[in-house]
Amino acid sequence: MDTMLRRARPWLGTLVEMRLEGLNPASAAMALDAAFAEVAAVHRCMSFHDADSDLSRLHRADVGSVVTVDARTYEVLRCAVQVAAMSEGSFDPCVGARAVAHGALPRPRSAFVPDPAASWHDIEFPDVDRVRLRRGLWLDLGGIAKGYAVDRAIGILRAAGAVQAIVNAGGDLRVAGTRAERVHLRIHPGEVAHTIELSDGAIASSTSSSILRTTQTTDGALASGEDTATGVSVAAPSCMLADALTKVALVAQPRVAARALAAFGAQALCYHAAHGRWCELGVTA
Amino acid sequence: MQVRWLIPLGTTAAAIAQIAYATQYMTVQQAQQAAFAGASEFRALPSPDATQAAALGAAPGWSPRIFAARAGDKLLGWLIVDQVIGKSELITYALALDPAGTVISVEVLDYRESHGGEIRIPAWREQFVGKTAADAVALNSDIRNISGATLSCRHLTEGVQRLLKLYKVALQVQA
Repeated sequence: MDTMLRRARPWLGTLVEMRLEGLNPASAAMALDAAFAEVAAVHRCMSFHDADSDLSRLHRADVGSVVTVDARTYEVLRCAVQVAAMSEGSFDPCVGARAVAHGALPRPRSAFVPDPAASWHDIEFPDVDRVRLRRGLWLDLGGIAKGYAVDRAIGILRAAGAVQAIVNAGGDLRVAGTRAERVHLRIHPGEVAHTIELSDGAIASSTSSSILRTTQTTDGALASGEDTATGVSVAAPSCMLADALTKVALVAQPRVAARALAAFGAQALCYHAAHGRWCELGVTA
Repeated sequence: MQVRWLIPLGTTAAAIAQIAYATQYMTVQQAQQAAFAGASEFRALPSPDATQAAALGAAPGWSPRIFAARAGDKLLGWLIVDQVIGKSELITYALALDPAGTVISVEVLDYRESHGGEIRIPAWREQFVGKTAADAVALNSDIRNISGATLSCRHLTEGVQRLLKLYKVALQVQA
């Protein structure tokens, strides 16, 4: 008998919830275990804190040396650099040093002192699964790896034969399946500010207060004033893109953000507390 | 990708609704079976007393439910069901440990969010103790997916750390 199975476990600093339909209970439980194991693997590869993670190994290596990383870390770094390039650096995975300076992340063991001038331009890919940091920099994948973990989990649930599946990692979620799922968007806990319907796609949300806290974006990039969005939700074909593009939609100039969103097939819904209105970005009508 | 915004854009966000979000993922029995499929018995042990709870830095009234999973005479491990309370969330979870105290799994059994702070009131908490799937209180069951402003699992992580200390002081000697 097919059932709906739903589980939640703590990973990636949040609760990761998975739901799937279309499998018998034993197969569904096995598929969920495998999908959670994949989330755990992504967590271990890309953790800033874990001494055995790929990030920690990159930080311990000498500047300019080539480090072999897990294929998943490679994929996330490639995507992070693409989003950084397309958004003119509004999203930048090289913000680890600033996050450490702000006390948001612990000081890692490192072979070098981070270079204040370093940016995403200094990440090089000499070969498949090989990464070289041209200047001393500390990577922080906190603004993209969660979305990627969701994508990987969805891939496993789909391969296991799930007809409909949803993975939600603290608000970064992806729907696999043709049936539209209703998703509630919110700016503050305990409120529903907007509702969408989504099928075969991903959505991620971010607020300007959370972005200041995690300092995922370039210092000073956060514009201020009435036109600044308080919160954004980005719908994209993958959750990795949706996750990264929320930072772009929040901090980039609207022209830059709209172009980046369109380039990745994404669209954003922005909430402006100053006038209490929602607006769309990146929709090519 | 198909996405449809359900509220007309450009309108002011007067439609913001207060919600209480709640989900039950597993019952205690399901968590026991999932962690220890080969167990023939889940023997309930006494909860830590007030002195132990205070020594572990737990809030007054802390009473995790401890089960020894056994297959005949053999101890397979422990399942501990505990609750953590955050600013606006109440999470019931089950930690499964093998006899050496290694974590087998952490499963959320029940997740509740509330806006008015009423989960700080003990009576509100008690109504959920011992609930089964059949009794589950349906709060806005329509709300299944939420994006944005989700809560961190810091309290849950702290809860697991406390249970690992509890294992060291109370369960390790029995293994």
